[in-house]
Formats: sequence, C-alpha cells, structure tokens
Amino acid sequence: MKHLNILYAAAGNVVRHKLRSVVVILCLVAVLFPFLSAIAILEGVKTQSRISVSEGADIYVTMDMFGRNGVIPIEMAEVMKQIPGVTKAVPRAIGRIYIGGKLAVLLGITDDEKPSSLNFINGSLPKAGEIVIGRGLAEHLNLEVGEELNIGTRVVAFIENEPYIIKKMYHVSGIFDAQSGIWASNLVLMSIDDAVSVFEMEDFATDIGLYVRPGYEAAVSKGLQKMNPFFRIQTKGLVRTYIERGFNMKGGIFAALYVLAFALTIPAILVTSGFGLSGRRKEIGILKATGWQTHEVLEMVFFENIMLALISAPSALVLSFVWIKLFNAPFIAPLFIPGAGSIPPFPVPSRFMPLPFVFSFFFALLLTMTGSIYSTWRAAIVSPAEAMK
Amino acid sequence: MTNIRVRSQESGVRRDELIRCEGVWKIYNEGRPHEVQALADVSLEIKKGSFTILNGPSGSGKTTLLALLGTMDRPSRGGIFMKGKDITGFSDTALSTLRRDSIGFVFQNFNLIPRLSAWENVSTPLIPAGVSEKGRRDRAMVLLEKLGLADRASHAPEELSGGEQQRVAIARALINNPEIIILDEPTSNIDAEATDILIDILKNLKSDSKTLLVSTHDQVLRPHADTVFELKRGRLAGITHD
Repeated sequence: MKHLNILYAAAGNVVRHKLRSVVVILCLVAVLFPFLSAIAILEGVKTQSRISVSEGADIYVTMDMFGRNGVIPIEMAEVMKQIPGVTKAVPRAIGRIYIGGKLAVLLGITDDEKPSSLNFINGSLPKAGEIVIGRGLAEHLNLEVGEELNIGTRVVAFIENEPYIIKKMYHVSGIFDAQSGIWASNLVLMSIDDAVSVFEMEDFATDIGLYVRPGYEAAVSKGLQKMNPFFRIQTKGLVRTYIERGFNMKGGIFAALYVLAFALTIPAILVTSGFGLSGRRKEIGILKATGWQTHEVLEMVFFENIMLALISAPSALVLSFVWIKLFNAPFIAPLFIPGAGSIPPFPVPSRFMPLPFVFSFFFALLLTMTGSIYSTWRAAIVSPAEAMK
Repeated sequence: MTNIRVRSQESGVRRDELIRCEGVWKIYNEGRPHEVQALADVSLEIKKGSFTILNGPSGSGKTTLLALLGTMDRPSRGGIFMKGKDITGFSDTALSTLRRDSIGFVFQNFNLIPRLSAWENVSTPLIPAGVSEKGRRDRAMVLLEKLGLADRASHAPEELSGGEQQRVAIARALINNPEIIILDEPTSNIDAEATDILIDILKNLKSDSKTLLVSTHDQVLRPHADTVFELKRGRLAGITHD
C-alpha cells in the first residue's frame, strides 16, 4: 500500500507540475524520435533488400579481373545452363551512369528475368530502344511516359549516305510507380542488348545470374569452379551476408553517433529537469520535515521518471510513425537511403520493431533519472530547514 | 560500554523531562567570511505536556532553536536529548522517523505545498505510512473539521486566508498524533480574530496533554504558557515559570 501511495503521489506530481512535465517530455521525444525513425527505416530497407536478394538469382557469376569483378561473355550463359541443377542462366548488364547530373543505376535484363517488382510499372516493359525509369529520376528530369531521353550515348547514323555521330534517344515506355521498391527510384531498366551497347561491351555481360534447384547450390558452385577457375562466384547466402554486414555497419555508425548525441543531451536534460528546481527542493524539504524518509522521496521521483518515460517513448513512436508513414520521412531517410533527397520521391520502407521501442523507454528513463535523481538526493539528505530555504 | 552509558543517561532522566539541550551552539558558515553565530551555549529543558514559549526580539535565535529542537537542523556543537536520548548523532533515517512519529511542526510561513488541496496537504505525512486515500482523507477531514475548515478542504493554499493556511498547517502537524507540537511565530502572519482561534486550538492541545513549544515575540500567548525562555542575541537571557 505504501508503494502504491507513493506511485499515486508521483502521478499527481506529473500532472500538477504541468510545465515541467511537458518540457521534459518534449526533450525526451526530441531525443527518441530520430532514433526510432532511423532504426525503423534501417529495418525497412534491410527487409526490402532481403526480399530483393531472395527474389534474385541463386548464384551470380562474374570473371575475376585482378581481384575485381570483370565482365563475362554472354555466351557462357548457354554453357552454364548445362550444369546439372541449373534451371535458368540470365546475363545482366549493370552499372552506374549520370543522367542530367543525377547518379542512376542502369540495368539491362533479358525477357527471362522479370522480378515481381516490375509489376509496378506505369506503362510497359522496355523493348529494344525503350527504357523504364524510376520515379525519382522521372521527377528529377520532369519526364512522362512516351517522351524521349538521352542517357549520354552516341551512335553513328548515316543520313543521305553521310556518316553522322548523333545522340541516341531512348523512348520512355514506363515509369516505376510509387509501390515499387526504393531501389527502383533511380533505376533505368532496358533490354540487355541496349545496356551492353551503352556500356560498350559487345557480347559481354557484367554478370550471369544462375537459378538452381533447391540443394544444388554447392554442387553448381563446384561445377563452375571446375569449368573455369577464374569465375568469381557469389551465392545468395554470400550476397545476403554482404548486405547484412553493410547495414549492420551503417546501424553501428548510427548507433555510435547517437550515443554521442545522447551524451550531449544529458546536460540539456539536466538543465530542463532542473526546471522549477528551487520549488521542487522546497517541496522535498517539506516532505522530509513531515517525516518522509530520503528513500521514499527518491522512490517517488523514480516513479515520476517512469511515468515520464512511459509517456515519452510511445509519443516518440507515434511521431516517428506519422513522420515516416504520413510524411515519408523527410530529412531522416537520406541518412540511410543514398540519393533519396531530403524529401524522398518513393515510399520510404520502414519496419517498427519492439526492441528499439523498449530501448527507447529505457533511454528515456536513464535520461530523466540522470537529470533528477542526484538533485533530489542532494535536496533530501540536507536538513529540512536548509532544503526549505 | 555504550549500553551502560545510555542506560545510566536514561536512568538519570527525570520522568517529566521530554527535551533537553545542553550547551547548544549553531553557527552558520562556520570558518567562512560570512560566519553567523545564531545560538551560543544554550541549555534548557522542556517538560512533557508543558506549554513553553521561546521569547525574544527578531534575530535572537528563536527560529534556529526551534529548528534544532524540532530536528529540522543539526547543532554545530552541544547535545539535544529527547527522552534522555542524544539525538544529535541520529542518522537521517532515525531523525525522519522521529519527526514522523513524535513531532509536528508548524512553520512561520506555513510551508504548504501550493498545488495540493488543504486536505491533501494535511494528509501528506500519511502517504509513506501506507494509509489508503480514503483513510487519509477521513483522518484529514476529522482534523479540518475540528479546526473549522471542513468546507475549505478542497481549496488550494492560495485560496485560503493566512489564518486558514495556518490551521491547515496545524492539522498537518497533528495528523500523526505527535507528542510534541512546535509552532514558529504563529501569530505573526494572522489577524486578531485568527489569533483568538489559535489560542483556543493551543488550549485544546494542551488539555490533550500535548507538549507545546512556541516561538514568539508577541505577548498575547504569554499568559497561557507554563514556561517562557527569553533569548537575546542567541543566548538564553532568562527563564520564567508560571
């Protein structure tokens, strides 16, 4: 009953000291909201990447070129198809290009490889001389379906039997719509033949994706090594590991920066929780004068802090949810999605997990405890006469 | 050895002695440039059930002595004994327990918590005692009714007059049924009518065998006191027994 009484008294204090409570809650939300948003976006991007990886080929093969990935002859796809367990071999041409000053990813694929995300196209799949571009790129270049675009390539054309070097124009057959993945925002999709020509690597692809029957991954890898020891083989598991490692590193860097920001916030909270400290000190003196023990005063402040944390953490979560889902995470998304811009043109992926929320509650509690317990203890251990001065 | 000493001290206590202080000094900022000697070598004894007044002009050390006797502060030197036990060496916890069980203090400026209603202020000491809200309210209401404040129970201190605030503070001091009631300058912040009410309250408390210790420079309470200690510049200047 005693602890319940102190809990109720603490709740009463949170309500009665409105200004102080509001200031502390606002400070905590300001600290927790970016943390929850960032972690949610990081998890969302991670999940989408995992889906992309699982949708893609089981093995990617390139040539080893002095320890780097080198191009591979397209005709090798037909040879690889003969390896037992391989169901499909798809050459791809992929690389980075600048279009209108914006970095884009150009992907050339065969008709065989159609990821499910390609369903999200306003328009149609590209044929020869056509391209499908990402929404972000289309907005940047102010392009619509049916318009033409030069992606920096030139061709030799004969006009009245005279050779001319002219800009090669591509017809925009489609634009990835808002539902497509984040990777589609700055993507240029075209046929593999066109892509090969853009990259000027006739008869070569950047890699060949192999789809294999379940359980054949190791055997196919072995067969590939036997076929050509200069093949660089990346299994789906390996790609997944790279991606996880990349995200974990990004998450780690963010966490380190956040801890730094967190450390800088503690003095701010110390100042804000000292809001009305003289009145607070007097109240503690009065409580001590009327027979409260120091540990009872500390218990009450601890309960107050729990309540403030219990209000702050869900408030930060709601704000983070609204910021991402309703406003599409402006200013936070670019930290985790390169090229997203301060206001991302595609729906920012997010995934709200329970663990970061639990962490945020404990963050909040730690902050308020740091800000208040010491000053309370100081006020409680001096004589009531001094505390009430 | 300690036990023997304590026992001999306790056996040496007179039956009617409640509080005794021996050679008490209180020096603020001791050893610093702004050192203030508030009390110097004060020794006195307060009997159980008595009405004692500490009299003296402003700055004579009345409030400081009351704070020491009410365990609100610690002396710089000397000993304060309660029922024969030297409380100057008591821990913070032991002093809080003593305040909770045995002492009710009414401060000169009342020290009510501004955001709490009258009954909540009165019942504050009962919170850590584990008394339910209903129990706290009932006990507070009994006292407020006795003091003529039942209809003001849900009012905040700022909505009460000085006399009413003082009665709320008295009710808070009485809520744990302490043996000693200490009032610091009780007539300084109230009008004549409220002073009459206060005198009646003090008379009733005395008839309930409470030990009353009051500091004042006002002569209005003097006729009702059993003992008056005169303080001058922090020193005991005289004692008058009724």
